[in-house]
Amino acid sequence: MAEASLTWPAGNDRVPYWIYTDQGNYERELEKIFYGPVWNYVGLECEIPNPGDFKRTQIGDQSIIVVRDQEDGVNVLVNRCAHRGVKICEQDKGSFNEIMCPYHQWTYDLKGNLLGVPFYRGVKGKGGMPKDFSMGENGLDKVKVHVRNGGIWATMSDETPSFEDYMGERILGYYDREFDGRTLKLLGHSRQRIGANWKLMLENIKDTHHASLLHVFFVTFGLFRVDNDSKVEMDGTGLHTALSSIRGKQELNDGTKQMRSFHSGLELKDPNLLDVVREFPGDRTVVMQTIWPNVILQQQSNTLATRQIVPMGPNAFELHWTFFGYEDDDEEMTARRLRQANLMGPSGLVSIDDGQILERTQEGILAHPNAEGVVELGGRDTEDSDHMVTEVALRAFYKGYRNVMGI
Amino acid sequence: MTISPELRGEVEGLIQDYALAIDDGELERWPSFFASDCLYKIVSKENFESDLPLALLLCDSQGMLADRVQAFSELNVFGPRSWRHMLGPVHVTDDDPVTTRTNFVIFETLAGKDTHILCAGEYRDVIVREDGTLKFRERLCVYDTTMIPNSIVRPV
Ligand code: FES
Ligand SMILES: [Fe+2]
Repeated sequence: MAEASLTWPAGNDRVPYWIYTDQGNYERELEKIFYGPVWNYVGLECEIPNPGDFKRTQIGDQSIIVVRDQEDGVNVLVNRCAHRGVKICEQDKGSFNEIMCPYHQWTYDLKGNLLGVPFYRGVKGKGGMPKDFSMGENGLDKVKVHVRNGGIWATMSDETPSFEDYMGERILGYYDREFDGRTLKLLGHSRQRIGANWKLMLENIKDTHHASLLHVFFVTFGLFRVDNDSKVEMDGTGLHTALSSIRGKQELNDGTKQMRSFHSGLELKDPNLLDVVREFPGDRTVVMQTIWPNVILQQQSNTLATRQIVPMGPNAFELHWTFFGYEDDDEEMTARRLRQANLMGPSGLVSIDDGQILERTQEGILAHPNAEGVVELGGRDTEDSDHMVTEVALRAFYKGYRNVMGI
Repeated sequence: MTISPELRGEVEGLIQDYALAIDDGELERWPSFFASDCLYKIVSKENFESDLPLALLLCDSQGMLADRVQAFSELNVFGPRSWRHMLGPVHVTDDDPVTTRTNFVIFETLAGKDTHILCAGEYRDVIVREDGTLKFRERLCVYDTTMIPNSIVRPV
């Protein structure tokens, strides 16, 4: 493969391809981003409703356990035995009273404190741990946690600002719109692996205008289209974005005329799929948030989900979808959410297109680390926008990314 | 549970013909395998075992089946590929209505790439007779695969 120059072209309107393919850059991303001063999304409280419930997930390359303790607190622990490094927990989810490593049976409580070491005092007066061995200093590594309205966030750095400051007022407002304090109801998970760099997934959501061209389904039924009344809003760093829009009609107009993928005659045989009910205050029918660095918070019509991005080296990522509703949803609303879930996920009427195109992007750029992509739609600035015919969120994103990475 | 050899032959015929239709890319035939009142779901074993209702793909009417066929064949964007269903023996668990479990593996070959396993799992079917022909009233595809390689772009 060609050697990467590792330099950035002048301006925010070009993105060099080595940032998606270079192994060294990926390793620096793990340190500076995922293990750095960020809040990583790690799950929802409704996934671990009872004391002892746990789920396994990842921050960067590291396997971690998210577990609810007997006092109802949520703990995030590194999934690596303090003794000799065994990955303690293999299951994706489950429930335990205490955490025991199978190798030499060190046990930990649900907060990660070391509880017991077999043969601690030796056998027949022989062996055992030295007298000054500290149980307190040999627990599982603990990761700092913040829970807000059912969402669980974790950070490995001591320098991370408070979650609220990290999100910024505006993005937090959108967060609280979807996570409004009602108890969440877990509907299920889907998981897929996509052969593309993890940043391309975030970009895909920030790239507002592709939806009007690539996604025939969206375009035709007006769910997300450039001629819709839309807004692109960023936080101060440019790294978080909230994209919101109001559903348009299936009509031929100045916008749809330019979309080859618009089908004015297309009709659903079962319109139940798009039997959408307004449930949030305000007029927005879709709000998609990309929260730096690893999650997309989705409200498209009545389908709500988090999409956790788990990087797997520079050339692949996993996408872990968690679909949910609210505890007070009636049966009809749950049925509606489940039906609309057809839009999203590894077989989503819309998201199939994204999974495919991201992999093709990676294939296209793999041999060209020093070539660069063009992000000039809507100008060269990085300010908020009142329409979606723009790549402004990408420019703002890479401005923020360069700051974080020091490049 | 035993059923007559004739009926078993017919049940196996339905299950095999279904796989053949998908592998041959004859998606327009897909809805015809289902009863007028039908339910089709692709569900991960993870959700199935935890009683979580989310499906990867859900159709609860003939109309929804037809809409999916249209999406897969005209609207979605994906590269050319072939599919091969490998079916295990049909295990009959009830006879009224006929209820079966059948293992499957789907091999997917993308143009210019290696063949990979797309998913492995089992069909849990409820089969009824409608206008003289056997149809799926319910077809639940429970897949074990933890991580779907990219996307599932046809009915399983
Ligand atoms: S490695 Fe875990 S107890 Fe020894
Ligand atoms: Fe998209």
